[in-house]
Amino acid sequence: MSSLAKKRRIFIIVALAIPVLLLVCFVVVPAVDLIRMSFTNWDGRSADYDFIKFDNYVSMFNNKDLWRSLGNNAVYFCVHLLMIPIELAFAVLLNSKLKAAKFYKTMVFLPYIINGVAISYAFSYFFSPVNGAFDGILEAIKLGMLKQNWLSDEKIVNFVLAFVSLWRFSGYHIVLFTAALQSVNHDIIEAATLDGANAWQMFRYIQTPSIMLMVDFILFDNIRGAMQVFDIPFVMTSGGPGYASSTFTLYTIKTAFTYDNFGLASTMAVAIMAIIILIYVVQNKIIHGIILKGDK
Amino acid sequence: MKKKILCSVLAIATALCGLTGCKGDSTNNDDPMSGKIVFTIWDNNLLTYIDENDMVGKFKEKYPNAEVEVEKIKDDTEYWNSMKMRTSANQLPDVMFNKPFTLSRFKDYLLDLSDTEAAKNNTLAKGYAIDGKVLGVPMTAGYEYVYYWKDMFEEANVEVPTTWEELKTVSKTLQDYYSAKDPDFMAIALGAKDEWPDYPYMEFMPALVNGNGQNWNDMAKTDAPFAEGTDINIAYHRVYDLFTSGVLGKDPLGLSKDQATNLFAQKKSAITALGDWGLQDIKGAAENVDDLGTFYLPVRESSSEPFRYVVQGDSFMGVTTHSKKPELAKAFVEWFYSDAWYPGYINYVSSASSMSNFPKEKDPILAESDKAQPDGVAVMYDGGGDDFTALQNETTFDYKKLGSTMLTDGFDLDAALSDLDAKWKAAREKLNIK
Repeated sequence: MSSLAKKRRIFIIVALAIPVLLLVCFVVVPAVDLIRMSFTNWDGRSADYDFIKFDNYVSMFNNKDLWRSLGNNAVYFCVHLLMIPIELAFAVLLNSKLKAAKFYKTMVFLPYIINGVAISYAFSYFFSPVNGAFDGILEAIKLGMLKQNWLSDEKIVNFVLAFVSLWRFSGYHIVLFTAALQSVNHDIIEAATLDGANAWQMFRYIQTPSIMLMVDFILFDNIRGAMQVFDIPFVMTSGGPGYASSTFTLYTIKTAFTYDNFGLASTMAVAIMAIIILIYVVQNKIIHGIILKGDK
Repeated sequence: MKKKILCSVLAIATALCGLTGCKGDSTNNDDPMSGKIVFTIWDNNLLTYIDENDMVGKFKEKYPNAEVEVEKIKDDTEYWNSMKMRTSANQLPDVMFNKPFTLSRFKDYLLDLSDTEAAKNNTLAKGYAIDGKVLGVPMTAGYEYVYYWKDMFEEANVEVPTTWEELKTVSKTLQDYYSAKDPDFMAIALGAKDEWPDYPYMEFMPALVNGNGQNWNDMAKTDAPFAEGTDINIAYHRVYDLFTSGVLGKDPLGLSKDQATNLFAQKKSAITALGDWGLQDIKGAAENVDDLGTFYLPVRESSSEPFRYVVQGDSFMGVTTHSKKPELAKAFVEWFYSDAWYPGYINYVSSASSMSNFPKEKDPILAESDKAQPDGVAVMYDGGGDDFTALQNETTFDYKKLGSTMLTDGFDLDAALSDLDAKWKAAREKLNIK
């Protein structure tokens, strides 16, 4: 091996060693420990605990409230998923020669940088049944008959919370799409324009395929975010009424800290990891294997 | 060469520094009354008083080689979460607080304070001893009150209730009278969205039905504690009747405790049940409290029964087994409950004193409850021991959540209690609790 090749190999090993070491220390080891804990009855305090085989997994599968909570996560997932094409359309609009595009970009991104707890508190008052601003707006535009118990009606509470989540995160997606669109090769766009492509054809056949990597990332971020949503229901409804707006993470934290069952909570954390991976794989198969198959 | 010498000197200095632990302070490790202790709190009022009155400086005057670091955690819920994590990491602070319902959870990590003057002079500490050990000295004696607006009662022509039926009637009369003018009115402000504000009803009422402060512990001894005729069954049926009678306003589940207290302070509600600490919240939100009065929650069915109200030790100050300076931490507890600090603090807060050597007159608003019920019987509340806590965790029995769930459509109390009985029996069998 030449001296240069040897030095290159050493550099690569050293450069890789640190991130790999960090990854092992802070991701792999805790993940393995989490799986180990999921087979115990640890209460979160005691030095001792017992291995109880698959009892936690059996208990988790029999827990109706937990699966109801996961159903609530699905509302966030679907609402955000439906919004992704609209967010992409907004990004295309902001990427065009729109007047004051920078101002709009700042405005849509602003909710994302505001503290999530503060947003949740503000919306609690916005949807309050007494002196609530939203009911006030409905009254002002003569739509008072549409007033609801926004945070306590089991049928609508998850949609209200998902709306707040949309308000907060859509701007983030739009800015990511905008950044990706700006990186699309201008030569391809010019060529398409010369070939007579209209705006829809440009969007469908040039821009969207060019930013597919970002689309994939946002789709994955949507799954992760929807499955792990916590602060909005925690502050706005405490998961109530009952478990009507509880989420998987909210229930997991309650299991760990209210019921002192860290073993079962670890099982739930393992389950949510598996669910996220499963949904991602299925979603990827559907999008790349069925919807986009015709483009290839 | 110079560089090499410089590097060598620096390396030796670094090594020496590492070996000696870079000790910069002059603390004498052999002196048990020197060094630093950490005192962790959640109470905003206590923090304000500590800052305004230089607690750290005053303690240093007494123990010149000692330092106290005051650590504030956001609220009590976050406090317990943090303490649980620290327990597993052997990182509990030197001095921590407990509530009656957390004492048994942390009992293995708290030192016995029976021999301290603070515990000896405390009127409640011995009542909460576990296995004969005083594991925490209650900072205050906690009473629960029902706050009400006298002028609103007068206008609606109702009297202070002395039985549960009277409370229901008074609430209904107030609701009917005021909601005719204001559709947002609620006779009783609850803030059920946060779930915990229903604790005066859901947590304390089972103990008040028959005056059994050990109700939670007794529940752990039976397979069907929620069955018809039990204290908890009677109490929760009474709560359910009240909560579903419309007296909580149009949407109690849509309002948080802060919103409900503010609306009460603005007289958009006539009644609210809170602890003695609630007086400060109400005073902070109301324009004036000239018409504010209190009475104890009337749980009894008829006036022939004794009138019972709950009393509990609150904020149990304890020294943890993780403390590296247990003697200093105990000295801090002694100092905190001494003439040098406690009288000023207890007069600053609205809560009652728990110390026999520093009695405190109740705030006139709170004292009205005692005047209204001079023959009232105080029930010493126990938050539940090991067995109850284990069963509660196993069955996921959350009485505060149950209270707010009572307000949802289609809720069936009998089915819920029957389901709890089944879970309770299975849990006792699984955990081998006799």
